[in-house]
Amino acid sequence: MSGALLRLENVSKRFGAAAALEGINLTAERGEFISLIGPSGCGKSTLLRLIAGLTAPTGGRVVVDEGPPGPAAEGMFYVFQDPTLLPWLRVRANVELPLQLRGVARPERRERALQMLKLVDLMPAADKYPWQLSGGMRMRVSIARALSVAPRILLLDEPFGALDEMTRDRLNEDLLALRESSPFTAFFVTHSVAEAVFLSTRIVVLSPSPGRLSATIDVPFPFPRRRSLRESPEFLRLLAQASHELRQIDSALR
Amino acid sequence: MKSPLSSRIWPPLLAGLVLLGAWYGAIALYHIPSYIFPAPHLILAATWRERRTLAQAALFTFEGAILGFLAAAVLGFIFSAVLGFALSLRRALVPYILLFQMTPVVILAPIYVLWLGQGLPAIIAISYTICFFPIVANTTLGFTSVDRNLVDLFAICRSSRLSEVFRLRFPAALPFFLTGLKIAATLACIGAITGDFLAGSAQNSVGGLGFMTVTYFSQLRIPELFGVALTACAMGFVFVGGVNLLSWCVLHQWHESALKLEK
Repeated sequence: MSGALLRLENVSKRFGAAAALEGINLTAERGEFISLIGPSGCGKSTLLRLIAGLTAPTGGRVVVDEGPPGPAAEGMFYVFQDPTLLPWLRVRANVELPLQLRGVARPERRERALQMLKLVDLMPAADKYPWQLSGGMRMRVSIARALSVAPRILLLDEPFGALDEMTRDRLNEDLLALRESSPFTAFFVTHSVAEAVFLSTRIVVLSPSPGRLSATIDVPFPFPRRRSLRESPEFLRLLAQASHELRQIDSALR
Repeated sequence: MKSPLSSRIWPPLLAGLVLLGAWYGAIALYHIPSYIFPAPHLILAATWRERRTLAQAALFTFEGAILGFLAAAVLGFIFSAVLGFALSLRRALVPYILLFQMTPVVILAPIYVLWLGQGLPAIIAISYTICFFPIVANTTLGFTSVDRNLVDLFAICRSSRLSEVFRLRFPAALPFFLTGLKIAATLACIGAITGDFLAGSAQNSVGGLGFMTVTYFSQLRIPELFGVALTACAMGFVFVGGVNLLSWCVLHQWHESALKLEK
């Protein structure tokens, strides 16, 4: 298994007496797009925070590039549930922020920020403040900011959860298109099974209290994926299978 | 939300007229002498007559208020920053901050006079004391209630502690600090007048507004006394208006409190 980009080895996490995650074993190769789905409270977000090194596991190991996650954070970025923009900075300065904090010189980071904004189709909004944008646009700024550091691993914590379905579908397609130009390995937390099937190479289903891996579903569709994929019978079959796995967890809980 | 100008001008104007009518009506009906409750035109006339004295007194009070206010703003901000980052210190000191905030400044004022003597230093100290705690209470809240996701974002960016303080916590605390300043601005005038009331001395035969209150009252010049109130009111408006303007300048481009009207 050596050479994997990321490995979770028997990882567990407790908050006081409560076990949030237990016995998580998961390996990710370069270029994978792994979705994490499961009922609320199954530790999906905690798993992302562990990978990001924002919190340490209470048992087991997180291995990134054969090392601890801390130093590897250079190559990682996080997209939060909310756009999490700084309200006092203009859009462009928000996209520049991670580069600025890493000490990249102004002309270079400015150019990079504009490139990223072009990529998410938000050039005209560069000099606006976050409050002047719609929810979907703000999320795209958040994604542009994440891509500005050219991350090797992108951790996305339910980034499109608050958006309407049409916006969400379009951003899903945009996200895959962005992966063509700046390839990253993704961990994607979502509540939407359709979203997970459309984006992922692999879907990991978690069950709650404590969070454990319950099932893994491979999604074999080739890239690039088009929106028409959503209507294909294979897509619907996988959608049904993933929904079934989720329902099984739910009925086991009752 | 924009209503025509007339609909915003008429209600307060009408209310003012009703109030004035009731004022004159009460005086006429109950035959109240002007040394107890003077009519508005007598107040205005007395204010105009005493304009030089009142203006000088207002300037003197304003000086005490603004110096205390500025000192409280600077030291309050620094103190809040320290409290914001040292959790154990915050826990240790919060009860005493509340205790101080609860102590009426009227009681502290004579103590300051005892320590600092009559005059401007004691008035500045009183104004400072009354301003300091609302600034600290608000600003500390600002430093400690930064959105957790934003803190995580800075952690993901491997931000230095210094960058986190200057690029995240300071700007995030700014609206709270300005709210503290707005509260303090109102209190600064009250503090300076109270201070002057107790600690004022007539330098070059002119004291502050507090001192003029004492003077006019002892001479039973009641319309002039109302004139002091009018002057204090105008001074308060200028002071609070200045702080509100500052707050608007800093926040209007991005902060919710300033944006609500535009949305």
